[in-house]
This record gives sequence, structure tokens and C-alpha cells, in this order.
Amino acid sequence: MIPLIPFLVSVVLMFVIGLAGLIVKRDMVRLLMGVEILFNAANLFFISLSTQSAGYIDPFAHSIVMMAIVLDGTVIAVGLAMVMNVYKHYGTIDIRKLRRLKW
Amino acid sequence: MVELVSSGLNLPLPLAVLLLGGLLSLGVGKLAEWMNIRRLREAWIVLVSAAGLFSVWMLYQRVQAVSVIVMALWEQNPPLAGCFEIDMLSVFMAGSISFIGLLVAVYSISYMENEDRLTEFYTLITFMMAGMTGIVMAGDLFTLFIFWELMSLSSYVLVAFLKRTWGPIEAGFKYLLMSATAGAFLLLSMSVLYGMTGTLNFAVLSVNLRGVEITPWLIAVFCTLIVGFGVKSAIVPLHTWLPDAHPEAPSPISALLSGIVIETGLYAMTRVFFLVFEPGVFKLPIAFLSVLTMTLANVTALLQSDIKRLLAYSSIAQIGYMLVGLASGTAYGVMGLFLHVFNHSMMKGMAFLASGSIVHETGTRDLGRLRGIGKMMPITSISLFIALLGLGGVPGTNGFISKYHLFSAAFGSGLGWLGIIGVLNSALSMAYYIRVMQVLMGSPEEGFKAHEAPIPMVTVTLMMAVIIVFLGVWPAPILNFATQASKALVDGLLTYIGAVLG
Repeated sequence: MIPLIPFLVSVVLMFVIGLAGLIVKRDMVRLLMGVEILFNAANLFFISLSTQSAGYIDPFAHSIVMMAIVLDGTVIAVGLAMVMNVYKHYGTIDIRKLRRLKW
Repeated sequence: MVELVSSGLNLPLPLAVLLLGGLLSLGVGKLAEWMNIRRLREAWIVLVSAAGLFSVWMLYQRVQAVSVIVMALWEQNPPLAGCFEIDMLSVFMAGSISFIGLLVAVYSISYMENEDRLTEFYTLITFMMAGMTGIVMAGDLFTLFIFWELMSLSSYVLVAFLKRTWGPIEAGFKYLLMSATAGAFLLLSMSVLYGMTGTLNFAVLSVNLRGVEITPWLIAVFCTLIVGFGVKSAIVPLHTWLPDAHPEAPSPISALLSGIVIETGLYAMTRVFFLVFEPGVFKLPIAFLSVLTMTLANVTALLQSDIKRLLAYSSIAQIGYMLVGLASGTAYGVMGLFLHVFNHSMMKGMAFLASGSIVHETGTRDLGRLRGIGKMMPITSISLFIALLGLGGVPGTNGFISKYHLFSAAFGSGLGWLGIIGVLNSALSMAYYIRVMQVLMGSPEEGFKAHEAPIPMVTVTLMMAVIIVFLGVWPAPILNFATQASKALVDGLLTYIGAVLG
């Protein structure tokens, strides 16, 4: 059985890094990278938990992670397509310039 | 009585119809382009959504006979593999989804007439409906997550569909960023649940976790689930994407988003909370969020001058009323919740469609410039008037019936203060509905001209107005159906678990 604590620490770190990236960064591509890091933290947690049952590694978590990677990949692809459209309209990909919609 | 179907490729019928219809709609669109057949795409989408509604009705009859149907693929029996589990509540939600989907499909025929990329538009609508149908029929959390992402992806693209102006793009990106973050939180809560029980099947989760002592991990699951589902269902600290995304989307899409997509988020939340936690655990946090949601949304809606934005804030307030039913934690409260889901999908869907007709004819959403529109578009205005009365909860409309049940459920479960705040909020909300009515009935300025909307749009809005009044005067059929649905969730929990574990 592989010890869980190092994985747990890295999951928490990745989660904090992803959230911090979402809060501080102004570049829209980097914001999408923050979302990707959040997804990967959850994926890593699935994988690390699958080693915790004695004697075998649970394939269920692996199949879930495979599907989740595909799903978040598609979300990021749609996001990047929107970033291109934003650049067309605003001439910048700085998120702080996207505040014409208010209230 | 339980029916287990597990041979071959077996999907629930409405889901199969919508998924196949969505896939074929790409080919149909190409065919319409090659052969230059007008209205072929529109006919296809109306046919598919009508077939979806019909198959939900067939499913209703089967579920009434056996109470729970479990469906798995190729002998992969649950709880080891993913599965669909259909009870009366799933049928109720699937019925609401395909009903408003059909109405919106008919409405879009005229509304989207002058847009290009129509093949993509109709395909995405079909996939969004398929995603929602999958969510309400899922039997484990991961199946739910897959269909959740299918619904979300289609709705991101649909919000940003009219990409020639900056508004939809900005709103769409905001929506995507917040929703994708929520998806990551949902995945995280799933991983913690997996670590605690070794599976994601609803029945096994419920057996292992319901009623156990509250540990820090369980609190973490609770918080991440609230963030994960709450962003989609626009609970107040997480609502900021909604007043941008719903007005900027094309009007049929606003009607679908406000009418049923945010309620599907609420459905998922209700289902998972009732399975994993005792009602005592989530009662107070949800009651607190409910007060916050309805008060803040109602006060902000007073300040709006854009008609679709005002309706979007009103949607958030309605989510607050629905949370009252969840906070009560009884079968009666849940009945009120799902009754209000259906009624709200009719009222708000129609309000968005009618204001969409007005926007379509006049080209403006500013309330100040729409004064006197009632004289030029009488039928649309009368339907909008009825929808606004319903949203405010005036007796004689179906909004009154469901709000009455929601608030009396709050009184019945010892949350009297919540019921009182709800009633006060409902009265306050009338203030901004009356403002819109004033604009509809006022006398028009010089040189302000508009025509009545095209026939399919008028027919749809008028039909929904008739439904609102009809269900307000004679609510028995929908009340019966909602009672069966809530009993399946709250009282029939053991049947639901026993269907998988035997």
C-alpha cells in the first residue's frame, strides 16, 4: 500500500495553486490553466485513493480519470475558442478589460 | 417492484431519442444545405423533441407499474459499473425538460430565421436536452458528471452563439470560467466520496454514509457539493454569471437556461443531499442560503432597466423560493420544490419567450424605450402580463399554488421564520413586476412603431399563458404527479436503494 499523506499534500497544494491562479492572474489563457490544475488535483486524488485498498489497485478510479481528462479537455477547448473571439472584439486577452457588462 | 434491464446496449428511451436525434441533426442540416430544402432542420428538431416527450410518456407508464427501473449496459450490473436508475422524480423532471424543449423548438423556428449556423444551433439544443435528461436519470455520480458536462458544454456555446457582438462573448466566457471551476469542485467532492466508500453508486453511497457521525471529510464533501451544484443553480454568492449569461443568450436559449437548466442543477443537489445526508444536516445551511438568495436577488432586480436582465434576477429569486422546499427536508416541501420547478419553467420560460418576441420586433431591451408596447403587440403583452402575475404569485395562476405549498412546508417543518421571509420577499418582488406591467400598458411615445410577432412565436407564448392559468385554476393533475415524484425521493428512498442492492 502506498502512503496517502504525500499525495494528499500535493492535492491540497495543486488545489490552492489553481484557485490562486484563478484569483490573481489577468491573462485569460492562464485562467484556463488554473481551471485545468483544479481538475487535475481532483484526478490525482482519485488515482491516489485507488491504491488504498489492501492487495489490489482499483481500476474503477482509473476509468473515471480517463473520462474526466477527456471532459475537461473539451471544456478548455471551448474556453480557448472563446478567448480567440474575445481577442477579436476587445483586442486584448486581459480579463480586467472584460467589464462592460455590469450589475 | 423493481425492473432490472441489463442486456445489450440499453439506454433510457428519451435519452436515446435525444442523443440519436442530435447526432442525426448534423446530417439533416447538411442535407438541407445540399438539396436546398427550407425548414427541414426546423422540422427535424420539432420532430425529435416531440418524440422525446412521447417517450417520456411511455416511460411514465412503465415506472408507474414497477416504481424503479435500473438500466445497465452489457450485463455490467450495478453497483460495480455505471447505471441509470429511473424513478418517478426522474420522469417528472424529464417530462418538464422535454415539454419546454418542444415549445422552445417551435418558437426558435421564427426567432432564429435570419441567423446562420442553424445546424449547430439545433444540434446543440438537442444535446443540451439530452444532457439534462441524462442527469435526471443517472444512477451514479459519475454518469451524472458526464451528462453534467454535456449539458454545460452545449450551454457555453449556446450562450456565446451570436458572436458578432461583444456581449455574448464576454458573458459566455464568464459563464464558462465559473462553471468549469464548479465542475472541478464537483469532481473533487466525488473523489472524496469515492475514498470513503470505494464506489460512486447512489445506493451504496446512501447505505454507507446516511446517518453516520459527521466527520471533517463529510463537511468537506458538503461544502464542495454546494459549490459544485450551486454555481449551476445560481445560489447567491455564486450567482454572478447568471445576470450576464441569460440576457445575452438568444431568447429561446434564455428560456431554456432559466426555465430548466438551473433547476436541473437544483435537482442534482436535492437528489444527492437526500441520498447522502440526513435532512437535519443540511436544513439550516440551506435555509440560510435561501434567505440570502431571494433577498439579494429581489433587491437587485428592483434596480434593473433591461427587461431580460430583470427576468434573470427574478430567476435567482425563484431559486431562493425553491431552496425553501429543500430546507424543509420533508416530502411535502420537496413536492413544493418540484411543483415550482415545473411551474417556473412555464412562467419564466414564457416570460423570456415573450420578451424575446418584443426584442425581436423592436430591437431594444431597455424598459424606458419600450413604453406602450402593449398597444402594438397585444397578444404577446397579454401573455407576458399573465406570466408576470404568475411569477409574483397572484392567486389564479400556477405560481400561487406552488408558492403556497413551499411556504406552508416551511411553517410545517419548524422553519416559520423562513416562510415569513419568503412571503415578504414574494410581496417585494411584485414591485418590479408591476414596473414592467406599467411599461406594457403605458401610452407610446411619438414615432414608436412595432408589429405583432410572427405566428409560431405568438402561438407558443399564448399556449403557455393558457397552461399557467389552467394549472392555477385546476392544479390537481400536476399536483398529483409532483406528489408521486416527491414520495419517490423521500419516502421511497429504501426502494431506490434496494433496486440496486437487492
